[in-house]
This record gives sequence, C-alpha cells and structure tokens, in this order.
Amino acid sequence: MLLLDYQNVLIQSVLTERFSGAPPVNIDQTVSDFDGVTFHISTPDSKTKILVSIQVKCFNELVKYGAQQVLEREYGPYVVAPENGYNFSVQVDLDNLPDDKEARDDLIRRVSLLKRNAMAAPFEHAFDEHHKLQEEASKFTSEEAPQGVREGGQVMAIHYREEEAIYIKASHDRVTVIFSTIFREETDRVFGKVFIQEFVDARRRAIQNAPQVLFRTDPPLELQGVPGVKDSGNGEIGYVTFVLFPRHLTRQRRDEVISHIQTFRDYFHYHIKASKAYIHSRMRRRTADFLQGKCNPQYKLPTKVLRRARPENEEKERKTASGRTFKVQGS
Amino acid sequence: MSQSLRPYLQCVRSSLTSALCLSNFASQTSERHNVPEIEAQTSPEVLLNPLTVARNENERVLIEPSINSVRISIKIKQADEIEHILVHKFTRFLTQRAEAFFILRRKPIKGYDISFLITNYHTEEMLKHKLVDFIIQFMEEVDKEISEMKLFLNARARFVAESFLTPFD
Repeated sequence: MLLLDYQNVLIQSVLTERFSGAPPVNIDQTVSDFDGVTFHISTPDSKTKILVSIQVKCFNELVKYGAQQVLEREYGPYVVAPENGYNFSVQVDLDNLPDDKEARDDLIRRVSLLKRNAMAAPFEHAFDEHHKLQEEASKFTSEEAPQGVREGGQVMAIHYREEEAIYIKASHDRVTVIFSTIFREETDRVFGKVFIQEFVDARRRAIQNAPQVLFRTDPPLELQGVPGVKDSGNGEIGYVTFVLFPRHLTRQRRDEVISHIQTFRDYFHYHIKASKAYIHSRMRRRTADFLQGKCNPQYKLPTKVLRRARPENEEKERKTASGRTFKVQGS
Repeated sequence: MSQSLRPYLQCVRSSLTSALCLSNFASQTSERHNVPEIEAQTSPEVLLNPLTVARNENERVLIEPSINSVRISIKIKQADEIEHILVHKFTRFLTQRAEAFFILRRKPIKGYDISFLITNYHTEEMLKHKLVDFIIQFMEEVDKEISEMKLFLNARARFVAESFLTPFD
C-alpha cells in the first residue's frame, strides 16, 4: 500500500468479474480516478458488449503529443468512436474474448491502464526525441554542437489538474520532468518541504542511480518563457524537477519509468495527507490519555498527576454483613 | 535530560513553589465578587512582581503571582516551521479541552503558547507540591511529544522518498 497502483482497480475488478464467465449483466458505472479523470463503464447496446470510456481534462494537449497513436497502438481492434461527453472509448465483446486465460488477463490489465496510457504519450514523445537528439549529438563534440542539439526540444506542458501541470523537456543527455504542485495550506507546505527534502537527499544517501530531484518555489530556468507559468511569490506553488538520465530511458525500462513517474504527484500528496492524519490522531489519543489518566504506565501522565493531587477523601460505600449498603455520614 | 534542562526545570519548580502561596481574597472593587486578581487586574496592590524564567530566547516561563491566583505561561521551544505547526496544533488540542484540565487557561497569554491559571480554590482542593509536579511534568511531556512527532515525520518522509525512488534504481 506504500506505492500507488498504476491501473484503476475498480475497472480491473469489474472486468475480471465479467470475464470470469458469469452471466452477462447490465453495467452502468462511473468511476473516478486521480487528477479528475473519469471513467464510464457501460453496456449500451447489449449485455455482452462492455464500453469503457475515459475523460481526461487535458486530452487536447495529450492528442497534440500523440496520445491518439499511443492509444490506438495499445488498444488496436477494441477502439470505437468516443462516447458522448468522453474523450476516448474502447469496447470489449464478451462473446469474442481471446481464448487462453493469459491473453484475457492481459486485456484486463491493458484496459485498466487506460489513464496511464493516455498520459504516457508526451513521455514517450520526449523519450523518442531524446534518442534522436542523442544520435545527433554524438556526431559533435560538446563544444561545437549546434544550438538546437545542445538546447534540446520544446517544453511540453500538460495541464492535468486545475492550477497544476507537468512539463517535459527532452535533451540529448537527459529528459527533464517538472511537476508544479500547489499547497493549499501552510501545514501542507511545511510537510511537503520535509518530504521533498528527503527526495532530494535520497539520491546522495542511498540510491545513487535514481533520477536527480530538485525542488524550488519559483519556476526553474527550463520553464522560462513557457506560457502559463507564473511565480506565486509566496511559496504556494512548488516545482519538483526530476532529471531522468539515459539509463532510465532505455527501451526495456521506459514503460516502467513512465508508469512510475506519473504517480509522483498523487503519491507525494497522499503521504502528506497520511502523515497529517497520523499526527492528528496521535495528538488526539495523547490528549485523551492526558484526560483519562489511563494509558501506558511508562508515561507519567499529567492528569494522573493532577488527579493524584486531589487528597483522597471521597465517600466510600460500605456494606453490612447482610449485603445492604450504607454511606458513612460526615466522614 | 540535557544539562541545561535540569536547572531550568529546577528553577521553574522553586519559583512556582514560592509563588503558590494563595489565600481567599474577595474583590475590593465589586461587592460579593471573588475573582482571580491576576485576571481582573483591578487592584494593583494585590498583584506581585511577575517573574520570567528563560532557558533561551525561544523557551521561557512567565509566572505572574497575585494574592489569590497565579498565572503561569509557557513558551515551548519552536526551532523550525514543523515544530511551530506541531506546537500550535498540540496546544490547540489541549486548550479545547481546558475544562477537563481544571487549571488550564482557554487562551494563552500573548507571546506564549499555553497558560495555566491556579486559584486559591485549586490549592485548597489539591496538594500544592503535586500541582507543581504537574506543571513540570507537563513541560517535559510536551517537549518530548513534539520532538517525537518531528522525528517520526522525518523518518516517514525518508522512507517514503526512498521507496518511490527505488524502482528507478
């Protein structure tokens, strides 16, 4: 539960259940995912034809970077015309499933990765551009490379949430991925700073091969002149830069790296919220302990002390031999 | 306990013990009223000299004695933003439950994080040296709790960061 899944679990479970050979039923479900993404699973024509549609806020930007091609490559024969109000749809016919189980599981996996695949297009685009630039740059020494090769490609912006965006820039020796992230309140900002500092330090300390992580509250130099980037001035917006090196960009690893880096923003905020919740409940418990005075005896709790501070002169109930109770007066 | 904490707490303890010398005292300004004089501030002759015990510029205790009440305000150490937030949250939690703590004041004095008000009724009802123990232990506990939570946050952040970056390795 520490790392977030890449696929949408609800889609996965619905499809697994339908594929298992259970009698076909009508489905009409709206599923939400991170970053305001909405899915719609339905059976509009007949019970055996399951239509899965996705709506992404920034789909137009994604199409610009080749999302349509990526999705068609991934889903090929299953692609249908997009459902009204959604950006992209795939349809699976239960009567026409692949025969062996592995192929069916693979299909479930691929459909549940719809969001990941839609968002992957700009990353793939950048990785390809990097390989191209690398080839070109290898023809020159670093001093005499023409401006275009040294500078790298255009910055691609994906405004995947209100006020937050991912910027991707390919160069001949790296791919830079910049997340802009907003902290709604002071506590989030401070907790975020603690967390991000550990991301920055992790590379130095333990994981030498990880991408370099940089953090600043004003737009990094890569984003100069990119429309829509503004400096909030009060540290509310943070820019987290990941520098992916050629070893992360190889053919074998790119799918994994793309999936993983996409989850960064949600992972980061999820753990900030989780820490806040933990600290909150811990304080609540500690205050309750203070009040009741019953808890782990290793802590010498204040209210216990406060309670002890009262001299003991409470009235005690007494019993006669026959079992009747009476109170001692004027004790 | 660190070397500078012990004399600090010892000093607070003895100052408090001497300040907690209270007697019943009816208000001089309004008839049939009996209010804590340190809060009312209506008769300057029954207020005694306030005393500050400071460990450093961020950590200090203010003791304001009067004839029938003592107000004790504590400024808890806040070295950075995280500690500031944790102290703020923690004291808010405590003050919201002030009535259960008897001597806790709902609102701290300006410039301090948490305040206590001990009146002659409290000293009549409870043992004085135990009340002093309570304040001292409270100061220790809060400091410990804040630093534990801060350590936890850092440890968690480190673990979270490392597990996110490990798949890239």
